[in-house]
Amino acid sequence: MLSISGLSKCYKDKHALENVSFDLDRGEIVALLGANGSGKTTTVQSICKLIEYDEGTITLDGEPTHSSNAYLQKVGAVLGGSRNINWRLTAKQNADYFARLRGFSGTKIHQNINELHSALGLDEHSKKEVMKLSTGNKQKAALLCALSYTPDFVLLDEPTLGLDFQTVDDLQTIIKQCANKQNQGLLITSHDLAFIENICSRVIVLHQGKLLFKGDVSALKSKMYKYRLSLQLNDRQQFPLASMQSLWDGRFAITENPETQIVDVHFETSEQSLKFIHHIHEQKISIAELKIAPLSVDEAYQALVKSEKQ
Amino acid sequence: MHLHLLFNELKLQYYEMRQYWFETVSGLILILLMFVGLFYGIKGFVVEQGDNQSLDGLVFGFIMWSFASAAYGSVTKTLIEDNQKGYLEQLFLCPQGFVSLVLHRSLADNLTSVFMVTIIAYIAMAATNNWLDINFPIMYGILLLAAPSLVGFGLIMCGLALVFKRVETIGAFLTLGLMGLVALDGLPFNLFSLLPFVPGVSLAREVVLEQSPFIWSHLVIVLANSAIYLGLGIVTFTFFERKAKKLNLIGQY
Repeated sequence: MLSISGLSKCYKDKHALENVSFDLDRGEIVALLGANGSGKTTTVQSICKLIEYDEGTITLDGEPTHSSNAYLQKVGAVLGGSRNINWRLTAKQNADYFARLRGFSGTKIHQNINELHSALGLDEHSKKEVMKLSTGNKQKAALLCALSYTPDFVLLDEPTLGLDFQTVDDLQTIIKQCANKQNQGLLITSHDLAFIENICSRVIVLHQGKLLFKGDVSALKSKMYKYRLSLQLNDRQQFPLASMQSLWDGRFAITENPETQIVDVHFETSEQSLKFIHHIHEQKISIAELKIAPLSVDEAYQALVKSEKQ
Repeated sequence: MHLHLLFNELKLQYYEMRQYWFETVSGLILILLMFVGLFYGIKGFVVEQGDNQSLDGLVFGFIMWSFASAAYGSVTKTLIEDNQKGYLEQLFLCPQGFVSLVLHRSLADNLTSVFMVTIIAYIAMAATNNWLDINFPIMYGILLLAAPSLVGFGLIMCGLALVFKRVETIGAFLTLGLMGLVALDGLPFNLFSLLPFVPGVSLAREVVLEQSPFIWSHLVIVLANSAIYLGLGIVTFTFFERKAKKLNLIGQY
């Protein structure tokens, strides 16, 4: 098991990570979610020892990783999108090189590389150097290198960056196979919630370096709002924020943008909005615009981050 | 010594040489032409002077310089070129550590360089019918013992490059400086013996070129020079590596 406990990293006075703890077991696919600058990449880099963290411990199967690099044999990583393999070599040559760099070679490794190469749809590009591949295929080549020696734990930093729908689908299938058939544990950082929802059993949400949420996908979804009501009033004084609060039951969150003077209400069930709309109608409150729309997964996630922050 | 790392680096060289065969062939032809140029261009002058050792000395100097450049360049190119090729972070994930990887890469580069230069030197000698009186195995044996001093020096430059990034100008200057290093005499012990690689070249010059008797204390100076610079290089690089990891600078070139 890969365990991260109390991980903290500071740059000058700014916390990049603050007391972050989570585990990753073999056979598990865990998502590390968060906006830009939330600390996802810093977490992955800390696990890979590419940055020195200030506090906390990282252990692999109970052994602390800071004292030795030997644990890196059990870790594969795709870092910074596709920018981490030798662009002058082909995908297979890269995979062969990186497998041997970790101490793995032989017929079994070559067989694994060949199988993955085909599964990733790279066979038709087998003679091309990585620099001549498309962004999606570069990403696949990087993935081939990370998986070539079947490491126990695979860290994928933004694996869907720049990929088309078909490639994302293929990637999902391969990642699921890694977890189910090879019993590999995968930690995936992404902005792509739909991708995460399809393959991950657990989710870790970071916000400004802090752990915001840790649990399974359904628990995260239950915390996320499903609808948004947007209201713009002609006379803002006519309907103060405080009186709006009393018109909502259940779980909801009201935010106001002071520049546009648009009030957003995030809520869970359509019935929740009836009392509010009825009040507007009854009191003849003059409105410029009123919209109710279901939230996309991304919007719901953003709303959750916003409300948790407040 | 991790043989799998050495083999991996040799295989990487083979991949790159095969993939970019034009670059490889043109590089080899260039070295061949330089040898032929040395033989023919200097021959007339040498014969006039009646000094049979001058040609050997000149070729010896050229081999020293190419070897020194290869030893120093093998380390610095890892950090600068591989960063531009885009996979430096992955090299830091080597379970044996980045420094160990660089040392194996350097050894692989030096072995290849020695092999290539020797083959080309013999081709040039055969083509021009100028047979040098240089004992290549002994010369390379001494140079391989002296090379760690330049590798250490390269590691110091790499450490600086990790944190301060743009150090190519200093690197280019140092490559030229190597020409001066191979011309100095660091034996018996004097101030020049403190400079990297100088005692090694001097010992090779004594034993191979001047065919003087082998002096053990000179070998000790060569080994001490190598050990001190390599140690200093590893300590300096490790210091800057930690600093770079603290500031999250690895791979940001």
